[in-house]
Amino acid sequence: MPKIEVNEDSLYKYIGKKITGDEFIKLLSVAKAEFDGQEGDILKIELNDTNRPDLWSAPGLGRQLRQYLGGERKEYPFFSMNGNVKESGSRIIEVDPALKDIRPYVTGFAVKGKSIDEALLKDIIQTQEKICWNYGQKRRSIAMGIYRSDLFTYPVKYFAANPDKEAFVPLGLDKKLTLREVIKQHQKGQEFGAIIAGFDKYPYLVDSQGKALSLPPVTNSNDIGAVVVGDKELFVEMTGTDIYSLLLATSIVACDLYDAGYEVFPVKTVYPYDTPLGREITAPFYFQQPVKADITFVNKWLGESFTVEEAANYARKMGCRVEVNGENIVLNPAEYRNDFLHSVDIIEDIMIGKGLTTFEPVMTDDFTMGRLTDATIFGRKIKNIMVGLGFQEMIYNYLGSAKDFIEKMNINGSHVIKIANPMSENFEYLRPSIIPSLLNSESVSGNAVYPHKIFETGKVAVKDPKENYGTITINSLGFLSADKDAGFNLVSSQLSAIMFYISVDYTLEEAEDGRFIKGRCAQIISNGKIIGIMGEINPQVLENWGISVPCAACEINLDLLL
Amino acid sequence: MDYDIKTLHPLEIKLLLNADEENISAENLMDKLAFKAGQYNQAFSWLSAKKLIEEKEKKQRVIYEITDVGRDLQKTGTPAEKIFNLVKEKGALTLTDISAALSLENKDTGAAFGQMSKAGVMALNEEKKAVITGEMPPLMKEVRALLDKGAAAAFASGELEENTLSKSEIEAMSTISKKRGGGSAPFRIVEREDVTYRMTPEGKQVKAQLKAQGVSGNEIGSLTPDMLTDGSWKNATFRSYNVNTPPARVLLGRHSSYSEFLDGVKDKLVSLGFEEFDGPLVETEFWNCDALFMPQFHSARDIHDVYHVAEPNKAKEIQQPYLDQVAEAHKNGWKTGSRGWGYNFDKEFTKRLILRSQGTAISARTLPNAKIPGKYFGIARCFRYDKVDATHLSDFYQTEGIVLGEDVNFKTLLGLLKMFAEEVAGATEVMYVPGYFPFTEPSVEIHIKHPVLGWFELGGSGIFRPELTEPLGIHVPVIAWGLGIDRMALMSLGLNDLRELFTSNIESVRLRRSK
Repeated sequence: MPKIEVNEDSLYKYIGKKITGDEFIKLLSVAKAEFDGQEGDILKIELNDTNRPDLWSAPGLGRQLRQYLGGERKEYPFFSMNGNVKESGSRIIEVDPALKDIRPYVTGFAVKGKSIDEALLKDIIQTQEKICWNYGQKRRSIAMGIYRSDLFTYPVKYFAANPDKEAFVPLGLDKKLTLREVIKQHQKGQEFGAIIAGFDKYPYLVDSQGKALSLPPVTNSNDIGAVVVGDKELFVEMTGTDIYSLLLATSIVACDLYDAGYEVFPVKTVYPYDTPLGREITAPFYFQQPVKADITFVNKWLGESFTVEEAANYARKMGCRVEVNGENIVLNPAEYRNDFLHSVDIIEDIMIGKGLTTFEPVMTDDFTMGRLTDATIFGRKIKNIMVGLGFQEMIYNYLGSAKDFIEKMNINGSHVIKIANPMSENFEYLRPSIIPSLLNSESVSGNAVYPHKIFETGKVAVKDPKENYGTITINSLGFLSADKDAGFNLVSSQLSAIMFYISVDYTLEEAEDGRFIKGRCAQIISNGKIIGIMGEINPQVLENWGISVPCAACEINLDLLL
Repeated sequence: MDYDIKTLHPLEIKLLLNADEENISAENLMDKLAFKAGQYNQAFSWLSAKKLIEEKEKKQRVIYEITDVGRDLQKTGTPAEKIFNLVKEKGALTLTDISAALSLENKDTGAAFGQMSKAGVMALNEEKKAVITGEMPPLMKEVRALLDKGAAAAFASGELEENTLSKSEIEAMSTISKKRGGGSAPFRIVEREDVTYRMTPEGKQVKAQLKAQGVSGNEIGSLTPDMLTDGSWKNATFRSYNVNTPPARVLLGRHSSYSEFLDGVKDKLVSLGFEEFDGPLVETEFWNCDALFMPQFHSARDIHDVYHVAEPNKAKEIQQPYLDQVAEAHKNGWKTGSRGWGYNFDKEFTKRLILRSQGTAISARTLPNAKIPGKYFGIARCFRYDKVDATHLSDFYQTEGIVLGEDVNFKTLLGLLKMFAEEVAGATEVMYVPGYFPFTEPSVEIHIKHPVLGWFELGGSGIFRPELTEPLGIHVPVIAWGLGIDRMALMSLGLNDLRELFTSNIESVRLRRSK
């Protein structure tokens, strides 16, 4: 979830008034935002809604709060839409056909106005980072660049470049590098280069004279692409893989800059291939469709009896254009929002617009029967018997290492489930048995008074080709005694007591298992099925764990006894 | 003030009552008290520590203990005896022949012959054969006598007191005894110290007190089955115990306190009408995310957020018609009234196996067969791609569930959260805040004021999106809820580190108590 830092005064300016303390924290909840602290004049705020990237900036957050407090909905006159395309003049981006399979979409717009100040520059850079990282899949589906539009001439060319032939000076460096060198040597290249490194040609943006703007999604050029405090004319560009999220991100940044006092000028992109919106798209572009909600459905969902007008009024507080059509609320999403998939999304705006705390909690009077699973009930029975036998119950983590689950246990481990992308080798396997967990306890508890009698009823999982998932999760009981005379006879008596009290007949069959001493290990068989194993732990295994007291252990598959 | 005679052991009491006040030693008490060998010293040391008796004098004495070598020689004879007897019987023999006949090492034969030759008992003749030239010397007789005496003593104490031996015996003993490491010699020399004690004034006072109170030291310690059978307890008095003696530790079988806490939550939810559900640890992308209407490009589904299973890496199949219906819902909303996410759903990707990252996966797989109305819950082990520290674990329990019904709506959702706050957490105040979960709309978080912990976020809830419920065959509103009970668990167990909940340390689990 994105966290942003905003200048206090600039946020208050966007809200339209200064609000502090508890009142501010309460107001933030309207935007599903949490106050995360203050440092000097910087407010730290966490935004919980990952579908509302428009809230991840001071102008965007301020806009939402201002409207909730009764502020007028602002009109954004620079948007094109189907049947009403704004004039873009010479501001054109031309696209190379070869980009279709590399990074097909590019959008842009230009702004002019006052000299950019430090707070706004920081805000723009933060918006770029948050949108591209959290909404644009770490620049994979959205990357954004900002340029000094007085330093280049249109049309801008977006083309698939030979990575070894083309070269430019990337941001922060003072010498020319080929595109391939940028990916290998530049810090941003190492971070984001992987997105394009697999292609023969790289996406590349230059002006009509061939001057470099950027190597998207990696880095800008060090001149045209280096925006500094004091600049007055900017060009904003975004590239990506999904036209709708790209256009939305473009709209968000355009609205932010417009709210900050800049004039916005459309830019037209000309594609040599089809897009869902045609071959020419002028951005910022309003592509959103109206969404409807039937008032009966709204009331059912909210447990209320609003009139359609009341509901529409609550929704309006959240900043969208809302009309009433018979029994329907028709909502035209704001230019910077695309989070209305279904009527229920309107319902949330109605709920927040009315004020969450004004809804009265109601207890449902549906009668339902409470019940534990059979496995829980049986597990509790087992746990009580184990406690009666003098065992201490333990609860362990389920992830562990090859060392603990396989090597120390003296087993080949082909049935153990491995994680393909472990965070560390300490948490690389899912436990196939409770016994290693119990032995791990022994290995760290040598100073605890003996005897040790410990058990766990928990889950284990192993590969099982018969299953649809190729694996099976098992409710298992594992117990272990550690003492100077803990041996086969002890564990056999304990097993016998358990089986007596759960009324299960069983037989033992000598078994060979690397975890146990040969000749002192048995499979437990009931109803013709192997339901468990027990015996004296192999001294080699004890040595592997650094345990110096004899141990006897048993493990039973409880699911087979249910 | 009276002495607390309950602190006295019966051995101490008997000793005080029977000892000659000025002359206390094991020897003097031997006739009066039938203590076992070590018990005198035990009683002396306890009484000295309590300053009821004190040391009067110490006497050193020397004891010879017969060793295994000595016992052996006593039985089979010394090499000198054997050689003397052999030659006496067989006549002149070379030393080599003697060694062979007696199975002796040549050097042992040589040494023994040397001794006897020096004493004029034997000599080599002109043929270099050993012959007898005199009688068995007194020293050898003394050795034999000592061995016999020592062996005899061994049946009793195993010791020969130095002061019981004659001068010549002591002389002979010096040739066959050693102090330390005496195993190779027939006798081991042991030095003993005999201590004589006398009663201190306080000791005398305690003795008087014992007499006055009629305590004999013969009071009964343990009541035995025999005493109950033969009725002898009727004439016995019982020794009083010091009730303040620190008790010995008992190791008992116990439930884990954390498991007790979780079971308590389960029982609470069952009492509120919830039915428990469960699911596998290894899940598919389908039930973990896709069925929850989380788009396949959602950032929480990144390789750095979910653990993938290496092998096998895919399920064989996903249950129909749910797979097709969910796929359509993602693509274009299917029949749910939604426009969908508008992308091409990947039906291979959805089969990918992962470790369950959220308990909501079980809610999803429960839906197709859920009762209406129905309330469900689960305490599910989930796995997260997190660095393990005091507040993050790679696997942990999530408590969550669903409520289905025709009359389920936003206000009953608030009522449900209020019930959890009051019944499960014991909250005194609640606060509702709009929340965000990718699969519910609207969504609410509940913050509660806990009597001990203060304000914290207890959980979240929302109404499942129709894009989630309809493709799984559910046509009524469904509340999804989750509770963060870990902070309450830590508080209840007096801990402040999540890792402690799953500790391997036996002693810390054994000693843990819940509040």
